[in-house]
Amino acid sequence: MIGLEIHCQLTRLESKLFCSCKADYREFSTNINICPVCIGLPGTLPRLNQKAVEKATTIALALNCQTPKKIAFFRKNYFYPDLPKNFQITQLNLYGPTSIGEKGKISIEGKDIRIRRIQLEEDPGRLIYEGVSERTQITLVDYNRAGTPLVEIVTEPDFDSPRQVRLFLGILSDLLENLGVSDPTLEGAMRADANVSIDGGPRVEIKNIGSFYDLEKAIHFELTRQESLKSRDIAISQETRHWDDKRKITIASRSKEEDEDYRYILEGDIPWVVLDSQSVEKWRRNMPEGISSKKERYVRDYGIPTQVADVLSSDKYYSDLFEQAHNKSNAKEIANIITTDLMGLIDTREKREQSKITSKHLADLVELVNSGKVTRTSAKNALQEIVKTGKSVSEIVSQTGLGKISDEVELGKIIDEVIKEETSAVQQAKDNPQTINYLVGKVMQKTKGNADPATTLRIFKDKISS
Amino acid sequence: MIHVVTKEEIEHVAKLMRIDIDDIDEYFEKIQKVLNYFDSLDKVDIESEEISTHEISVNELRDDKHVPFESKLISSLKTYKEDYIRAPKMN
Amino acid sequence: MSLAVSAIEYIDNVKNGNITAEEFTAKTLEQISKHDSSLHAYLLVNDNALEQARLVDKKIKAKEKVGAFYGMPISIKDNICVKGGKTTCASKMLQNFVAPYDATVVSNLKSEDAVLIGKTNLDEFAMGVTTEFSAFGPSRNPWNPDYVPGGSSGGSAVSVSALECVASLGSDTGGSVRNPASFCSVVGLKPTYGLVSRYGLVSYANSIEQIGPLGRRVEDVALVLNHISGKDVNDNTTVENHNTDYLSEIDAGIKGKKIGIISEMSKGEGLDKNVENAFWKSVSVFEGLGAKVEEISLDLVKFTVATYYVLTTAEAGSNLSRYDNLRYGYDMDVEGYEFKSYISKARKNFGREVTRRMILGGFVPSAGFAGKYLLKALKVKSKLKKEISKAFSKFDFLISPTVPILPFKFGEKMRDPLAMYLADINTVTANLTGIPAISVPFEIHNGLPIGVQIHANTLQEKHLLQAAYSLQSMTKIPRVPL
Repeated sequence: MIGLEIHCQLTRLESKLFCSCKADYREFSTNINICPVCIGLPGTLPRLNQKAVEKATTIALALNCQTPKKIAFFRKNYFYPDLPKNFQITQLNLYGPTSIGEKGKISIEGKDIRIRRIQLEEDPGRLIYEGVSERTQITLVDYNRAGTPLVEIVTEPDFDSPRQVRLFLGILSDLLENLGVSDPTLEGAMRADANVSIDGGPRVEIKNIGSFYDLEKAIHFELTRQESLKSRDIAISQETRHWDDKRKITIASRSKEEDEDYRYILEGDIPWVVLDSQSVEKWRRNMPEGISSKKERYVRDYGIPTQVADVLSSDKYYSDLFEQAHNKSNAKEIANIITTDLMGLIDTREKREQSKITSKHLADLVELVNSGKVTRTSAKNALQEIVKTGKSVSEIVSQTGLGKISDEVELGKIIDEVIKEETSAVQQAKDNPQTINYLVGKVMQKTKGNADPATTLRIFKDKISS
Repeated sequence: MIHVVTKEEIEHVAKLMRIDIDDIDEYFEKIQKVLNYFDSLDKVDIESEEISTHEISVNELRDDKHVPFESKLISSLKTYKEDYIRAPKMN
Repeated sequence: MSLAVSAIEYIDNVKNGNITAEEFTAKTLEQISKHDSSLHAYLLVNDNALEQARLVDKKIKAKEKVGAFYGMPISIKDNICVKGGKTTCASKMLQNFVAPYDATVVSNLKSEDAVLIGKTNLDEFAMGVTTEFSAFGPSRNPWNPDYVPGGSSGGSAVSVSALECVASLGSDTGGSVRNPASFCSVVGLKPTYGLVSRYGLVSYANSIEQIGPLGRRVEDVALVLNHISGKDVNDNTTVENHNTDYLSEIDAGIKGKKIGIISEMSKGEGLDKNVENAFWKSVSVFEGLGAKVEEISLDLVKFTVATYYVLTTAEAGSNLSRYDNLRYGYDMDVEGYEFKSYISKARKNFGREVTRRMILGGFVPSAGFAGKYLLKALKVKSKLKKEISKAFSKFDFLISPTVPILPFKFGEKMRDPLAMYLADINTVTANLTGIPAISVPFEIHNGLPIGVQIHANTLQEKHLLQAAYSLQSMTKIPRVPL
């Protein structure tokens, strides 16, 4: 039995949870993105971000959770240098349901993963360890991140395997990105801890997992470790373990975290926020269309194949491009060109950020292909240029001669060249008609994909058989 | 139910609060007295009481805008090289 | 012109050109240098005060728009942040802390051309009733310097009483404005919770405390309230004041009003006989003014001190966690320490009372004790609020002596914290329920002041000040013997 505790930064918000410093701290040099509130200076008070409440509610709704009538905030009190006030403002359900959502669920491959609760809370700062020897070691603290809005999602221990965990996290990432609340590809934007137990035995928590890739490994390791103990009749202790990234194992936590008593109290500086049904309904209506709903729509309305619809709908960047580019007649082709050619081309966040392609480019390109003016292959090649320079499709067509070559005389010349060069292939083609495709391919190479395949094939056949 | 607090319990709490007390005896007596006084609350009938709350509507909450602080705050705090705050080593 | 003027008189005189702001501030500074080495109301006197006053005079001369205070000297309790200046909370932990921002109430006063004459002494982090817990020495009662001035806003009360300023801002968590106001024979108001912004007030018990004005006259307190109250974007717990003018019609009187005497606070063995006598004289005064007075029993009062200390120690424990000396505080290098040991050593700079309360505050919300103490206290608080609301369905005001005892000598209550906590028995109810309450000077007995406390329902400050003004109009208090 595996359960998860996932922390997602709401990176798409403008400001932090309790002050007006920037929510995404990554561009700032040390301790610049701070103010008296997020540093916890004496006398300062938290000011709750309205959009954070809205976005957290949409996450709760997207995960099919119940939302309470009022939400409250609590203080989790403990001392740590990354915590400017030495308490974290978070949410609990200590006096009835007061966190932003609870009792939700999400399905993966027919299996229901239940969401125990969702809470809104602030991220602490970041620690750096310095010093060379044991004696001189000190800790350096950067508070740029302190106060960044986090949504913590706690699942029930419903996962059966590390693989299911991986699938879930993929779906969750897509969902959060689709909602427009977070960019999960940003470093540190999504972190997860796991708890693992076997056969109803004691729960072991694993913390300090750096990436989702490591998470799968860590869970796998821990399951194996527990199975091994069990098979030797050794008791498994309920404890917190840390993932040791270097040795790729979980190790028992030296700091007695389970001794920590968080002395929870209500956060007196933030009144209980009433989630009136009017506001919640407004937020629900403004939520972007869900991924599965999009997928169904693509299949149903545009006849896009299920596989393609699946890939397209789960990626917000591309589905946005698709939504803007398509109309009733070209939807299938737009979807096709995106999933087959474009996705491979701009496959990292940097490449996406630098990409200059727009939905108009796609629409124009597909228009040209459909009207026969440009081959599918040429269109694919044109994409590279468009992504790099953003030049309009018509510009590229005229500049690089992207138009299809169907002029028989021109084609004939090139075909003759190929026949001269590929004498053995030509011989083979006489007996084996399939080899003609290889020769057609050569012509395509020479014309940078601009030769009209049908015409080329016909001319070849004529020339060869004669 | 009357709970008589022990020295160990007080030492444990002091540790949690990161407080170093040299003369536990002095503190112990006074704290024990106050805690015993708190026990008088047991006499109040509050079985059916709900805790009262201050409320605020979502519309009164802060707009999501990035407004940087007016000055370089880190200059007025205790810093170390490259503007880091310096803390003791962690175990 | 005498320093003993009220705020209203001061402003009129400056408007009429009888005195300049600079002259008055200079006289005030003289008074401070004359008396404060013995009274110790101030931790810090603003060396820029005269310049501030001069700027106001310039504005007046140039016939520019002048703020409501006309350069009036106001002192600020040293747990309220003033930009660029030290805010120590009378603690060694913050002995070098310079606030990089102004509290909202401070900005408000500045923009209304008040002269911020200095920061006043308090019990460390506002925890105490005498200023004896200040890390920098106590303040002395100007009526008799061997006696405590009350607390925790002792310095504020002394500065007003000793004519070292015209008004002051203190903070009231369990009576910390009303108690010293009563002991020093000045007026002290605790507003409704949320009426005055706490942004910039160093938190002790944030769900209960309020900044409150002190002055020599009820109308002065009303004037200050006009300029510090109202919703503040920087404080989510503030409420609307609907642009109420607390000063207008302050002399409306209390004819026909129904006043309830809180029995548990006004009779019994905990009450000093002289205080009791004085209080019942005030009852006759209220009746003479046309009010209907009768007794009411508030059964839960006897649990309020325990409830108060459970809740405030829990909040204090949390609010003071941030003082780990890493980001600000005092000099103590981290090299050679491990995290836990550094923090524990650094926090030894807290005084004994603060330390005691933090330990209590660690107890009451801790696992295993939270249900017993914290949750219970929260529920008693709810029940008390209901009891008070019920009382206000019958009465317009509730009254009691402010403090059940006379001012006492230094050292008298230091040995027994519980005895000290019980001095708050009459004042904590207003804090726990959020209602406004005011202390009005009533009598001097053998040279020691006695004050009367009036409560009103939530956000009824305008009526409360009218009742206080009525009482004041029938009361003659001798001059402070300086």
